[in-house]
Amino acid sequence: MKLLLVALLLFCSSSPVLAHKVNIFAYVEGGVVYSESYFPDGRPVVEGKVRVIDSHEQLLLEGQTDPAGLFQFEAPDRGDLMLEIDAGMGHKNKFLLKKAASKE
Amino acid sequence: MRIILLCLLLSLLVASTSFAHFGVIIPSDDIVSQSDPQTLSLQLKFIHPMEQHYMEMAKPEAFAVVSRGQVTDLLGAIVARRGRSAGQDRDFTYWASDYRIRKPGDYTFYVVPQPYWEPAEDLFIVHYAKVCVSALGREDGWDQPVGLETEIIPLTRPYGLWTNNLFSGQVLLKGQPVPHAEIEVEYLNESVGNSTIITPPADPYVTQVIKADVNGVFHYAMPRSGWWGFSALSQADWTLPHQGVEKSVEIGAVYWVHTRDMR
Repeated sequence: MKLLLVALLLFCSSSPVLAHKVNIFAYVEGGVVYSESYFPDGRPVVEGKVRVIDSHEQLLLEGQTDPAGLFQFEAPDRGDLMLEIDAGMGHKNKFLLKKAASKE
Repeated sequence: MRIILLCLLLSLLVASTSFAHFGVIIPSDDIVSQSDPQTLSLQLKFIHPMEQHYMEMAKPEAFAVVSRGQVTDLLGAIVARRGRSAGQDRDFTYWASDYRIRKPGDYTFYVVPQPYWEPAEDLFIVHYAKVCVSALGREDGWDQPVGLETEIIPLTRPYGLWTNNLFSGQVLLKGQPVPHAEIEVEYLNESVGNSTIITPPADPYVTQVIKADVNGVFHYAMPRSGWWGFSALSQADWTLPHQGVEKSVEIGAVYWVHTRDMR
C-alpha cells in the first residue's frame, strides 16, 4: 500500500513535465517482461536507464533501452514490480506492473 | 411557375423534418492512464444527439480500431442493446462492445453503418463515425486518416480538451479536402456527467452549422462539458436501390470529442 502511495505521488509529480515528458510501459508474455519507453509523440527513449524495483522496494536489476526504446528481462517471481525510466535531464517516469498482469 | 412553387414547398417540407441525424461512437473514457481501468466500453448509436431521439440501428458493416497504423476488426465482439430517450414510447437497437487496451498509443475507433433509409428525405444515410482514445501517454496517430470514403481529420489533438477550447478539423472526401464543406455540430445531451439536460430555446440551437474554408478546414469552440459531435455531409457518387428505384446516399464524416470544465 505504501509503495502504491509513493508510486502515485511520484507519478503525479512527474506528470506536469510536459514538453519532454517520458513514459514507460511494460507487460509480461511467456515469462519475459517487455518494456517500452517513449516520448508523447511516439519517439523512443534511446539509452534511457531502466530500474526495476520489487514490492519490498529492493532494486532487482538495471538496464538500458535500445534504439527502439525497448528493454526486456526475465520475469522474476516476486509480486508487483515498479519499472522506472530515467531519460536524463530530470525526465523520469514509472510504471507499476502488477503481478496479476503476469498471468494473462 | 407551378413547378417552382412545388419545389419551394417540398424544400420547406424537407427542411422542417430533417433533424440532424448523427452516427454516434462514444467510449467510456477518452484518456486511459495507468491508474484507469484498461477496458473501454464503447457504444454505437444512430440518434439525434441534442434531442436524444434514438433511431433503429442495424448491425454495422464495419467496426474497427486503428492504433500505430494497425487495423483491428472488432465487429465480431459487438452486442445489440436496446434503448430510448425519455420522450420515446419504444426501444431502439444500438450496439455496444468492450475493448481492452494492451499497449500505449492513440486508438481511433470507427464504425461503418448499414445504409439507413430515411423516407422524409428520400435518401439513404451512411455516417462514418470516429473517436480517438489516448492510452498511456503515447500520443501518436490521432492526426492520421483511417481511409474512409469521407472523414474528419482533427487538427486539434482530439483529447485533453477543456470546455471552450477551439476544435479544428479538416473534412476529406476520398482523401481530398472538401472546399466549403458544411459541418453540423451537436451536443450529446446524454453525455455522462451532464448535470442538466439542455433544452434548446429555438431550432437553430439544436444543430449548429459551420462552413469550412477553401481547404475544408473548420473551427468550433465547445461551450459545455461532455461529448460533441461534428458531422460533415456529402452526397455519395453512388446510389442505392429502394423499392426498385435508385436513391441518393448522404455520406457523413462524423467525429466525436470530449470536453471537461477547467476547475
